[in-house]
Amino acid sequence: MKKTLCFILLAFTLIHAKEFNAPMKTYMEGLSAEAKAANPSFTGFDAKRGEAIFLSKHTGKKGTEISCTTCHSTDLKKGGQNVNTNKPITALAPSVNSTRLTDVAEVEKWLSEGSALEKGDVLTYIINQ
Amino acid sequence: MKKILLITALGLSFAFAGSVSPADNAQYQKECASCHFGYQPALLSKASWEKVMGNLSDHFGTDASLGKVESEQILNYLVTNAGSGKITANNNTMQITKSPYFIKEHRKISAKLIEQKEVGSLSNCMACHTTADKGNYSERAIVIPNYGRWE
Ligand code: HEC
Ligand code: HEC
Ligand code: HEC
Repeated sequence: MKKTLCFILLAFTLIHAKEFNAPMKTYMEGLSAEAKAANPSFTGFDAKRGEAIFLSKHTGKKGTEISCTTCHSTDLKKGGQNVNTNKPITALAPSVNSTRLTDVAEVEKWLSEGSALEKGDVLTYIINQ
Repeated sequence: MKKILLITALGLSFAFAGSVSPADNAQYQKECASCHFGYQPALLSKASWEKVMGNLSDHFGTDASLGKVESEQILNYLVTNAGSGKITANNNTMQITKSPYFIKEHRKISAKLIEQKEVGSLSNCMACHTTADKGNYSERAIVIPNYGRWE
């Protein structure tokens, strides 16, 4: 009995982790329309491409190599640390931090750069973490 | 009369001995405490806050720009609660860590303790002052990572 309950709860959290809330769904649909307008052969966002973006390195403002993992770490279920201020950052994975990817304004603010395709891919990657 | 004066003076010196009003403005916390700890308004003078808020697009090597309305509201919160006295004396720069009083208070801490990963720089108040978010910087609440209590 206990086992079944546990399993149901687990399944519930797993399913739950992959769902955007209503305002975020609307936002993702907007990105999707934008990506389709930019490239008619676009068929949908892809977590694998998103992961590649998350791991890829760019030369930052200070001339040093920087990627999303520099501040958010490679394990999204664990916290990271801001490379500029050394302030700890709580986990980005919605499965362990339920407030993540729930506020469109917050998401837009921290993903101000990049194309609609890149944003959609990276958010699809994060929501599955 | 004298007694009241004395009490007031005592109250004032308490206010200086390591404690300031907490940063209790939700908008400020949301916009200015994401990359670092939300520095209390009383830690800088009015002139300093005006400089900080006038240069957000080039904010210590990062971009911390805000919308016009938000920026005005936050500036208003900061200047109405800006500091005066010991901690802000002779400092109109954009940094608390440039205040002569601040420098004097922190001069005994070794570079090794400041440069370590858990701290990084003296701007990271919360790394050592465990109750900094409550505006309390008293010595009793200082715990330096990999060193321990200061007191
Ligand atoms: C210089 C450090 C730094 C880098 C590099 C960085 N971030 Fe962030 N990120 C932050 C900070 C700070 C916040 C806001 C604080 C918080 O939410 O804990 C944040 C917040 C976010 C959020 C908001 C999440 C939410 O809903 O609460 C997302 C999404 C995000 N980052 C994605 C990324 C992606 C994708 C990259 C790489 C393209 C990236 N970040 C690179 C520091 C960084
Ligand atoms: C995008 C990240 C980011 C945001 C958002 C941000 N800051 Fe900063 N801030 C920094 C960095 C980086 C430093 C450099 C200090 C350090 O090494 O931690 C800094 C330093 C400061 C300092 C000087 C601290 C000292 O050394 O004495 C003040 C004051 C300050 N910020 C105020 C603000 C205010 C007010 C806001 C909101 C309008 C804000 N910050 C938003 C990144 C940010
Ligand atoms: C590396 C750890 C560390 C960091 C980071 C740090 N402090 Fe301190 N601070 C100390 C220590 C240690 C003392 C006590 C020095 C002494 O009395 O010998 C102190 C003293 C103080 C005092 C005086 C307290 C009193 O009782 O009079 C104030 C105010 C203060 N710090 C504010 C700040 C602020 C604001 C920041 C961030 C901008 C900050 N500190 C960052 C370690 C730190």
